[in-house]
Amino acid sequence: MSLIKPFSYLPSEHETEKASNSYLMSLIAVVAGMPLPIINLFATLFFFIGNRKSTYFVRWHCTQALVSQLTLLFINSAAFWWTISIMFTEETITTKYIAYMLTVIIFNITEFVVTIYTAIKTRKGIHVEWWFYGTFTHLICKR
Amino acid sequence: MLKSLFQFAIIVALFFLIWFGFSKVNWYKIFRIEKVTKSTEEKLGNLYWDIISKSEEEVKTLAILKPIDSLVSKLCASNDIDEKKLKIHIVNKDVINAFALPNNHLVIYTGLISSCENEGELLGVLGHEISHIQKNHIMKKLVKETGLALLISITTQGGDGGAVQETLRMLTSSAYDRKLETEADMTSVDYLINAKVNPEHFANFLYRLSSGEENIPKQLYWISTHPESKVRAEEIVHYIKKKKFETKQILGSDSWNNLKIKIKDL
Repeated sequence: MSLIKPFSYLPSEHETEKASNSYLMSLIAVVAGMPLPIINLFATLFFFIGNRKSTYFVRWHCTQALVSQLTLLFINSAAFWWTISIMFTEETITTKYIAYMLTVIIFNITEFVVTIYTAIKTRKGIHVEWWFYGTFTHLICKR
Repeated sequence: MLKSLFQFAIIVALFFLIWFGFSKVNWYKIFRIEKVTKSTEEKLGNLYWDIISKSEEEVKTLAILKPIDSLVSKLCASNDIDEKKLKIHIVNKDVINAFALPNNHLVIYTGLISSCENEGELLGVLGHEISHIQKNHIMKKLVKETGLALLISITTQGGDGGAVQETLRMLTSSAYDRKLETEADMTSVDYLINAKVNPEHFANFLYRLSSGEENIPKQLYWISTHPESKVRAEEIVHYIKKKKFETKQILGSDSWNNLKIKIKDL
């Protein structure tokens, strides 16, 4: 899921703190206990906008934190609206629904663990690239 | 770019693979959902019927039970419905109503039978209620509107309190969601066609009762609890326009008239 790779330069203490915070932003909704999946995305988006003129190391990690939220946004939104339709329409709980919710939980827990791990490593100045998200961030975040 | 797309495809594939794998597991059995729902349904059905049977008079006359049984048997046999599971109760009450209860109880009021002009009309209504049973609409409605927790507590309390009366009232005198009602109507039409009964009679019944209430001196429960009957009648007519069907009487005119006389004599 994530790989420790060398970065093109050694980031300063100030940069590692900001980069680490970008991951913590994506956990804000969990901390606030809010079930709406969009909150995570907004938090990381605002942090990304706030740091778009920052150094490469900070921008790179803000971007990775942001794009990692996108896939979760889709699967969490589907879970959210599926649950709402079960509560308010004639839709019922099916094996497919239970299976979907368990899959969503696994993906969310994985993302949660990797986010905390990355935040800790990044704070120490270690560059962590996620599977797919890291590759994608390299495509859209230029020096 | 290609590497990124490839990795994304693997993530998507992994997601669907896990979902597919989990959906092969019988979570209902693991979480005991099926068992709890089934036993709750059985208890609720018996509880509701106990309440009704204490306050209403159940018809035991063979001359009435037999023809109704013949009609239901034909409908079930033509549609692969297990007739043995149906618990049919005919209640002597001058009210146009029929309703399904949990655990396959089907209650028919004599007022409904006497208001039907032919066996097709009666079978249309019965087919509608049987399709609610077949498609598990009753428990869906109860769980949706009251919650499984309350239903389980009703069964464990043994029928005391207002909740049981309230949920029974909901089943006997309120309609299901419009979508479920339409589904039951169309399924009933299919049942009738398979049983070689003219489904137009069902549409006629709905149309006649919704448009001519002043001529019918009985309480129109089934119609008042199933609003938009005219629209439903039109939908049925539209649905059967495309269908080809042959018809054959099940009871015959004499038996049908005899049934109505017996009901009048009760």
